[in-house]
Amino acid sequence: MPLSSLLLSRVELAHYPSTSDLGTSMPASPQGSPPSLSTPRPHIEVEGLELYYGSVPAVRGVNFNVMPGEQLTLLGPSGCGKTTTLRAVAGLEQPTAGEIRIDGLPVFSSARKINVRAEKRGLSMVFQSYAIWPHMTVFDNVAYGLQVRKVGGPEIKDKVDRALEMVQMREFGGRRASQLSGGQQQRVALARAFVFQPSVLLFDEPLSNLDAKLRADMRIELRDLQHRLGITSLYVTHDLEEALAMSDRIVVMRDGLVEQTGTPDEIYSLPHSEFVADFIGSANLIRGHHRPDLDCDGLTALETATGQLIYGMAYGRKAGPEMTVSVRTVHLRISQERPAGERNVWPVKIEKTVFQGDFSQIHLYWGDQRLVARCAAMEPIAAGRDVYMAVEPRRVVLLSPGNR
Amino acid sequence: MGSMGSWFSAQKVAGYGVAAIAAVLVLYPVYFLLQAAFDVGDPQIRPPTAYGLDNFSSLLQYPQIMLNTLMVSLAATVMALMFGSLMAWILTRTNVPGRRLFEQLMAVPYYLTPLLGALAWSLLGQPESGFINGIWRAFGGEGHLIDINTPYGIAWVMALFEGSVAFVMIAALMKSMDPSLEEASQVIGASRIRTIMQITLPLVTPGILGAAIFVFAEMLGSFAVALVLGLPTRYYVITTAIYQMIQQYPPKIQVAAAMGASLFAVMWAMLYAYRRVVISGSYVTITGKAFRPRLLDVGRLRYVLLSICLLYLFVAVILPLGTLFFASLQKIAVVFPTAENFTLDNFRTAMAMNAVRSALSNSLLLAFGTATIGIVLMGLLAWLIYRSRLPGSGLIEYIVMFPQAVPRLVFAFGLMWAWVVFPIPIYATLWLLLIAYLTVFLPLGVRTIAGVILQIDKSLEECAQMCGASWAFRARTVTIPLLRPGLVAAWLLLFIASVRELGASILLMGPHSKVITPSIVESWFGTSSELTAALALIQTLVVALAIIVLVVVTRRVGALSVD
Amino acid sequence: MAELRHGNLTRRRMLKAGTGAIALPFLGIAAPNLLAQGVSKSPTNVLDFTTNADVAKAEQEGQLVFYCHENEAGTAGIMEGFNKDFPKIKTSYVRAQTGALYNKILSERAAGRFDVDVIQLSDIAPAFDFRRKGGYEHYVSPESSAYKKDHLSEPNGYFFWTGVDPAGIAYNSEKVAVSDAPKGWKDILDPRWKGKISCKISASGLQFVQWYTLRKIYGDGYWKEFAKLQPRAFDSRVQLFDRLSKGDDMITAIGEYPAYFLFKSKGAKVEFVAPPDGLVSTPLVVGAVSRAPHPEASKLFVDWAMSKRGQAWYQSNPNLYYGSVRTDAPAMPTGVKLSDFKLLYPSDWDEYASQSATFLKEWNSMLGL
Repeated sequence: MPLSSLLLSRVELAHYPSTSDLGTSMPASPQGSPPSLSTPRPHIEVEGLELYYGSVPAVRGVNFNVMPGEQLTLLGPSGCGKTTTLRAVAGLEQPTAGEIRIDGLPVFSSARKINVRAEKRGLSMVFQSYAIWPHMTVFDNVAYGLQVRKVGGPEIKDKVDRALEMVQMREFGGRRASQLSGGQQQRVALARAFVFQPSVLLFDEPLSNLDAKLRADMRIELRDLQHRLGITSLYVTHDLEEALAMSDRIVVMRDGLVEQTGTPDEIYSLPHSEFVADFIGSANLIRGHHRPDLDCDGLTALETATGQLIYGMAYGRKAGPEMTVSVRTVHLRISQERPAGERNVWPVKIEKTVFQGDFSQIHLYWGDQRLVARCAAMEPIAAGRDVYMAVEPRRVVLLSPGNR
Repeated sequence: MGSMGSWFSAQKVAGYGVAAIAAVLVLYPVYFLLQAAFDVGDPQIRPPTAYGLDNFSSLLQYPQIMLNTLMVSLAATVMALMFGSLMAWILTRTNVPGRRLFEQLMAVPYYLTPLLGALAWSLLGQPESGFINGIWRAFGGEGHLIDINTPYGIAWVMALFEGSVAFVMIAALMKSMDPSLEEASQVIGASRIRTIMQITLPLVTPGILGAAIFVFAEMLGSFAVALVLGLPTRYYVITTAIYQMIQQYPPKIQVAAAMGASLFAVMWAMLYAYRRVVISGSYVTITGKAFRPRLLDVGRLRYVLLSICLLYLFVAVILPLGTLFFASLQKIAVVFPTAENFTLDNFRTAMAMNAVRSALSNSLLLAFGTATIGIVLMGLLAWLIYRSRLPGSGLIEYIVMFPQAVPRLVFAFGLMWAWVVFPIPIYATLWLLLIAYLTVFLPLGVRTIAGVILQIDKSLEECAQMCGASWAFRARTVTIPLLRPGLVAAWLLLFIASVRELGASILLMGPHSKVITPSIVESWFGTSSELTAALALIQTLVVALAIIVLVVVTRRVGALSVD
Repeated sequence: MAELRHGNLTRRRMLKAGTGAIALPFLGIAAPNLLAQGVSKSPTNVLDFTTNADVAKAEQEGQLVFYCHENEAGTAGIMEGFNKDFPKIKTSYVRAQTGALYNKILSERAAGRFDVDVIQLSDIAPAFDFRRKGGYEHYVSPESSAYKKDHLSEPNGYFFWTGVDPAGIAYNSEKVAVSDAPKGWKDILDPRWKGKISCKISASGLQFVQWYTLRKIYGDGYWKEFAKLQPRAFDSRVQLFDRLSKGDDMITAIGEYPAYFLFKSKGAKVEFVAPPDGLVSTPLVVGAVSRAPHPEASKLFVDWAMSKRGQAWYQSNPNLYYGSVRTDAPAMPTGVKLSDFKLLYPSDWDEYASQSATFLKEWNSMLGL
């Protein structure tokens, strides 16, 4: 079976909101509930979090949970409130309303007037600027958290050495912290953060100050480390690739609110809204009105203003009279010959091709709408040529109505 | 409004406590000043019996004084800006040799104090007995070359010795300019001159304007120079007029207070204007990044520029010191002395003068106390205003910066009044001087320490928090070690400011609390100029020694480099 | 104002603990002390003079606070003399020109501060006023017998004339030819001195005397003419002669003889003119202050100052060179006796004192404030 359909069945199995209104021939899925066994209690719970700076809203009502051992990433453009949310969990910002619980115990509750100080929450954090203390050595930096916890000398040495070993900074122990490069500082910051074995690690865009190559490497290392230590992570980034590569689940945020929560795959394949669709990978958004008379085989038919007809899947979302669907650029197939199949095949005109190395970006006219297709490296097609475009209906995702 | 977690109430107490202290220190004397200014009743009766505006309307009888003040301040500001800009440009933008050294040396006239400068230039520039005029006549000149007792003479000395703040501001401005702005112009093909005229100048102009306003406000409140050079010829500016009115018999306290209040209003307006100019986005050139400004290679011109720097130092440091030394060794200071005119008596007398010995030790003791208590008080205030995000910190900042707008003499005037009636008997003691100094130095100290605090990335402290450290542990292991070099620098700054202080202390000294700078002024008005010269030199020497000792000691204690 | 007892206790405790000098500046010596008036004892002999003060107690008090009009060197000189004879008594002083000094002590007392032991003024008018206000301690010195009635307060026991400061005209002999030099008081009004003549500020007692006496002799217009010369005014005679000797001024309208002598001996090119009308002179008055913090020391000082010893010191100290009015005073170091001069005094001290306000107004407006 093609990989893609395996993917789909996994998606179906996991977080399908409801299958009842879908008369499809799809395999039945378990009703509603989360897939696995008895659910462990969430490690971090954030409920109704609001944070206003005076009258300026930073966080307008955010809810999510982080399960033990999971990495949950807050993803979004700058200004969306993700860092503020993270800092609120850390205790470095005081929310205006809401509740935050760690291991079931509230560390902040506006209703019950609880606000535990940051240093007492038992969390740990890696800062964007690394925050390496310049007046101490690398060893002292890492040992700090242990000193605070009044750990004995020899035990400190042992733990610090091992932590430094894990981040491959063992030989830098005696170095003055101000003499390190960015990447080295980052590792030290990491070692410092987990040396005292916290159960939760908070990450505030830790990789954004590194260059691209290093970033890519560190991503993997961080992920491995997290798995090895089994630490629950709450991670903040604006980098899509990072979020997709590292996270167990992603919370997409915009303007202080949560847009969508889900696994990387869900977010990618089944965006709820135009914003998520466009933010997570490049998407084509097609608007039109519903043609229920043309619906068949569990597919939803959409007719654009210019009369183009496209079939997609609702995935449990309500199909209103006016709908928007999202199609990933990589899912549009361009071919010289007309492909087989009746549905979702159209003749299109190429506007231009942009060579991007590993792939090419093809701008084309579909009716009077411009779409973008992304294809693996191929021979450039001259502008103005007529070609055929096709897309699998299941790749055409209905977006939730009213979600712009 | 976010704050860093819920505060331990002791921190709130400390924060607001220190804010309350600052408020009392600043507002209490201002209240008394204003009360005296509006008091139209019998001056001997306190509290005032009647209030009115008569004192202010009587100020109209002294238009000459206002004019004098304006003229002198304007002239001094222009001169200070000229010197400052020239020296700033030479030292930050060209490849003159010894730049770093000169930049440090530019602060020396400030440390020498304008009083010393005024004394020295008085010896140099009196129309009859001045050394320069004597030399001029020896070369066949007629009359006198310069007359230091004129407004321009006064402005000249003010600019030389009080103008280094202009240099500091303009140098900072030039150093933080993004060089790529000029490079863009040059790449297009504009000549150097054109670049300077059309790019550099317009970019620095708002900053220079801001500096001009600031310097002008400072010059309005200048006291020492006008006191030494203006009083003999009855050339009064507002500050010396206030002093004279308080000291003369019978004193015109109320009019003096009205004058002081008016001056304060004007200075406040100027500083308000300054803040508007600075904040109004004129600083496109100032970004958070530290640039390495591109240096202009001036080729042969280097040596010309070098000699300009040396000339400045000569005129502002070497010449005054040398003059004082020369004068102090003579019985009657003349420019071409005979052999019998030389004597060490002046130094002998100066050393033996009880007032001198106790004044010096008082000054050093007081300076030590001011600096030490000052950095704690001002450190807490700086933290409160710029880091704590406690509500009301904006108001506190305003109050703390208040004394900037009040000339120190005027402040001391209010203080004198305020503390005479205070039940705790600190009047005419060093405690009162300590309070006065802490108050008038608030803007200086808080600003300096704030600069240091703001340079420390907040995340360094937050990270310590996340590692579980309590406030006290954090402060001890992270905050204070990082602040230490800055605190040391602030300590020294306060120490030096305290020793050189004149305006605040001259009104508040008592028999047991003589301090050195006003004592030198007293000597000037009450003894010979040669003896005064000897006194001034002794003071400079002792203070310089004290500073050297302090710098050495603090370096040993492991502080990082002191700027 | 109510006495501040706690200040009292502090001082006593300090004395008992023998705190060193370093603590002194930080002590607010503010508590007024009740003077033990007691019965006047029989005078005791100390050194070579007699005193009614309790010398042992004075030394125990250990301090003397002296307010004086003299310039720094002069005041320090007076203190030096006293301290040499009584080393156990630490001296400290405040100096300001008479007007300012008087002003200071009055405002301090009005605020309840009584920190002064003895005050010396160069003008008898404020002395009268101070006596009326009860500022002086009534203490009759056994040395009073050596003084004429004219030179003591009326009644005796409040203040006395510790010396006389006579002033004539002085000029710079390099700048002014002998033929051009002024011969009498009228000559200083010559327009050629415009901008080149100096005098003293309004706070000076001597200046007040000069104003009063010359006005009496030459009429109201005299000083108006003088104002046209735009004279420069200074605080102390040392400043006047400093400038004179360097040529910054050509002549001074109020050249005090002691200063002339001092500068001449330093080699300055100055000359003195004694006008035929007489040398303008002011008495220098010393008196013990009431509610003094160190009452015995203050009485001891008064006796010392009045004594032959003290007077000799006042006369011979180069920063003072006062003319003594003690009936058995020796000649001044210059060889002249005070009686050799013709001295100009106000004849009616009370009338003189009442003119104070007029003088101040006129003099201050002449000087610009």
